[in-house]
Amino acid sequence: MSLEYIVSITKPMLEGAQMTILLFLIAIVLSIPLGFLLTLLAKSNVRPLAWLAHTYIYVMRGTPLLLQLLFICFGLPLLPGIGEYLVMDRFVAACLGFVLNYAAYFAEIFRGGLLSIDRGQYEAAQVLGFSKWQTTVKIILPQMFRVALPAVSNESITLVKDTALLYAVAVPELLHFAQTAVNRDFTIVPFFIAGIIYLLMTLLLTLFFKWLERRFKFE
Amino acid sequence: MAIIQVTNLKKSFGELAVLKDVSFEINKNDVVAVIGPSGSGKSTMLRSLVYLEQVNGGSIRVTDDFLVQDGVYSPQQQIKRITAKMGMVFQHFNLFPHLTVQENLEIAPKVVKREADSAIRARSAELLEKVGLADKAKVYPAKLSGGQKQRVAIARALMMNPDILLFDEPTSALDPELTGEVLQVIKQLASEHMTMMVVTHEMGFAREVANRIMFMDNGEVVESGTPEELFTNAQYERTRAFLQRALK
Repeated sequence: MSLEYIVSITKPMLEGAQMTILLFLIAIVLSIPLGFLLTLLAKSNVRPLAWLAHTYIYVMRGTPLLLQLLFICFGLPLLPGIGEYLVMDRFVAACLGFVLNYAAYFAEIFRGGLLSIDRGQYEAAQVLGFSKWQTTVKIILPQMFRVALPAVSNESITLVKDTALLYAVAVPELLHFAQTAVNRDFTIVPFFIAGIIYLLMTLLLTLFFKWLERRFKFE
Repeated sequence: MAIIQVTNLKKSFGELAVLKDVSFEINKNDVVAVIGPSGSGKSTMLRSLVYLEQVNGGSIRVTDDFLVQDGVYSPQQQIKRITAKMGMVFQHFNLFPHLTVQENLEIAPKVVKREADSAIRARSAELLEKVGLADKAKVYPAKLSGGQKQRVAIARALMMNPDILLFDEPTSALDPELTGEVLQVIKQLASEHMTMMVVTHEMGFAREVANRIMFMDNGEVVESGTPEELFTNAQYERTRAFLQRALK
């Protein structure tokens, strides 16, 4: 096994990893705010809105992400009448699927964060004259995000690994190139290299969240 | 002049009547200690004054404005204006854990009153000095002892320049050796003629610092008077029995 060979198969995998990273960034940047919005909706006093949010979370968490991706990529175009307008670029469709799915998980994480905040925090803010909005923004959210940080970190690492599902909808990413090399050259090495690249990505992410947690330790 | 006038206050949680016809007045410079057994309605009464509980009947007047009149609450805007005249110190401090001590003091004047930074800074420094925590300005609450937290909470309430300061069992969550430092601060405020109402189980403190003691039992104000009157010459058997138990 020559170094040359390893370099030659690693190169396309790294290019595939760019797709992985791009999907990760898009999914995380969009699903966190969307998830937070869902948390607020689920807590809303407007019953139909809360019900809608709960149903959404239930459906998205209750069905496989793979099913959702296949549904968006291959199912939607089959809808009679409107299907032809729902044909999307595979990568765009995958991004949509990831954002919609992860938003539901983040919504639950943030809900947990909100539940952890003592009623006394709201009372202290009220007595000091804060409006509901000021209380939420200045007092509750910073604490909620802090409490949610370890769970957000965990979910982000899961997201990195879930990007491998792109394989199923035929978007060329890291795993796709690894699998291609394995089939072509009949060797296990590409799988090891893919594993190492995933580990490097999750390591970076782990370090980043460790740093965030230290930065917002409030001690 | 009465700073707070409460008349015929009633409050129930479902079937349970927690406040039954409570009336009293607090005048400027009063230091009123509210004593009574657990579940007598002391905390609920205090919390009603700042709109943390809503009553079912009666009136609360703060200086010239009604917070609630004959069970009917004023519009929200007026409620905000009225409760802003009162500061509250909680049993469990309720400091904001994500803010430093100094930020805890400064956030409300900054966000709620939009005061100038320089004025806020001067006052927070002065108040931290007063409660003996000037060296803790940059520290987060997690690093403080219970007594220190409560002193920060008092300073935070004072930042809003309230006409009256309400204390809901300010030392009940503290280890016994830490109650002294908090009571000392309240004592100092009393000597500066701050108007205060203190729900407390500290009989010695009530006797020494309050100019009036209110004894509550079973949702009613049984009697109130000077410490001397209550401790040596209580009119009601219930009061005498409670004091006997409490002073043991």
